Amino acid sequence: MSVAWQFYISTVLVYLGVDVMACWGLNLQFGVAGLVNFAFIIFQAAGAYTAAVLTLGPATKGGFQQYLGGAHWPFPLPILAAGVVGGLLAVLVGSFAIRRLRRDYEAMVMLVVSLIATSIATNQVGLVNGPNGLALVPKPLATMVNLTPIGYQWLFVGITAVICLCVYWLVHIVTSSPLGRTLRAIRDNEQAAAALGKNVTGLRMLAFVLGGVIAGVSGAILVEFISAWSPGSWLYPETFVYFTAVIVGGSGNNLGVMVGALLVPVAFLEATRFVPQFGPPGFIDALQWIIVGVLALVFLWFWPRGVIPERRRRFPPTAQSEARQPLPSTRTGR
Amino acid sequence: MNTLVPAIGFGIVTASILAVAGVGFTLQFGVTNILNLAYGDIMTAAAFVAYLVTGAGFSVWLALAAGAAFGSVFSILLNRFLYTPFVRRGTRLFGMIIVTIAVSLILQNSLLAVFGASFFSLQMPRPASVHIAGMVFTTAQLAIIGIAIVAMLLIHLLLRYTKLGKAMRATATDPELARNCGIATDRVIDLAWAISGALCGLAGVILVMNVTSFTDTTGAQFLIPIIAVAVLGGIGQPYGAMLGALVIGIASELAAAVISPDYKNVVAFVILVIVLLARPQGILSEIATRKEVAA
Repeated sequence: MSVAWQFYISTVLVYLGVDVMACWGLNLQFGVAGLVNFAFIIFQAAGAYTAAVLTLGPATKGGFQQYLGGAHWPFPLPILAAGVVGGLLAVLVGSFAIRRLRRDYEAMVMLVVSLIATSIATNQVGLVNGPNGLALVPKPLATMVNLTPIGYQWLFVGITAVICLCVYWLVHIVTSSPLGRTLRAIRDNEQAAAALGKNVTGLRMLAFVLGGVIAGVSGAILVEFISAWSPGSWLYPETFVYFTAVIVGGSGNNLGVMVGALLVPVAFLEATRFVPQFGPPGFIDALQWIIVGVLALVFLWFWPRGVIPERRRRFPPTAQSEARQPLPSTRTGR
Repeated sequence: MNTLVPAIGFGIVTASILAVAGVGFTLQFGVTNILNLAYGDIMTAAAFVAYLVTGAGFSVWLALAAGAAFGSVFSILLNRFLYTPFVRRGTRLFGMIIVTIAVSLILQNSLLAVFGASFFSLQMPRPASVHIAGMVFTTAQLAIIGIAIVAMLLIHLLLRYTKLGKAMRATATDPELARNCGIATDRVIDLAWAISGALCGLAGVILVMNVTSFTDTTGAQFLIPIIAVAVLGGIGQPYGAMLGALVIGIASELAAAVISPDYKNVVAFVILVIVLLARPQGILSEIATRKEVAA
């Protein structure tokens, strides 16, 4: 394989890892717990900024980029810190957005949070260098390992894969445990779950924070890889791409969501890279967004459960439930 | 004091635009029960319609009418051919929110593809400025305030004194009960889309009358204060939205004068958060509380 192709493929693989992680995080919130988090991308952004600032080192006075609290932390720490910051931000946002409100309020508030976060990061230049964003973030381990650029690329793919596995382990534990079952119950019928004594707000908050942590980690990996991050990379429509991926893949199903991440942000958006440019500048981008929107509508219309639908969970009858079963005649047609 | 009085003037103008937009938004949501996040983009589309009308040499008044008509027709079509079919197909709340945001993206980027990434402004006669009690208004701004007052009065008369208004309020409170009482709720909902769509289009045009230039994202950005207004007033409460518009419009312009113009939307956001913490059902709402219990 030629060097150029290796370079391209390894880059796409890292993007895929980041997108798969993010989709798992969003799926935990949206697919499993039913939280319509239109601010998802800001948790990824918070993680990215955290990791960037913690690897860049303190900002020099009068330097070309200004930001708060720089440090030179060694490799895995910035990524962990990004997860923590993502989680803390989720606690903060959740403290007012996730309450016993109607769900539509929640969605609206999330959207507003996303728009406001962009405007603050853009206008507060001292925070994370405003509209220009952060750049020249040093690559992790680059000075320690002595590798060719290609070798380093593959090392990074390995790092991403390992972190991906950890994230999968986390989401799998959550979704396959009684906790996941409770979250799905809350998603499907909040009143019933509350009536059974489940702490609805607390559990939704938990899912929200876990999703925030995962989003933060995914952002950290992305920024360590591409070395730059600016408000342009996390406008609110980016969240919509992840939503589309989750819906296309099969919301509520970790495997399906992985396929969704492969299909929408990676395959679909990468494919357009090979389409010859035409029209005025920005035309292709606009077209891309239109197609993503149409894709979401088409899937919601024809395959609302996605390519790999959520498994319909069946539980073996117990002696107790056997006794409470309705008459056989009423069970037909299920 | 010198900067505060003119800021209140700007606040009144912003409040007027917000009132028109917010009442449309909240009415749409209250009666139709669809949270239309494409609202801001329909406003932008109406602004582009007005841009084309004034560009063709017609007056701003005609542009206003054209914008309102566009918003109205577009909203009805959107509901008839997209939202209602999705609801009938059993798309639930989560799904519908995503449908509306998909529409928002499609609309916004279609405008971008057609008109290009550039700044636009309405062709208007050079406005004269008028001094009233220490506040300075351009004639365009006075027109905006006038339009808002007339629109609010008409909405008030519609809701209070007509059969349609009564039917709308009934549908907003309890659609099933309304239907059982012999109200043709489908027709009421169609009319609600038409009226709120007209307000949406009107708001889009007066929004861009008040700024020097607009882009394809102008309406989407304006969605922040609109949502704040709607939540502050209690979703589905037109009178609450009017009051909310006044509060948020003046507060955000004062903040712009005292702190920095970048903080206009942040103030709207902070008010939104405080309302959510203290009184999630909004300042003026009895229906919303009952709905929340029933939801």
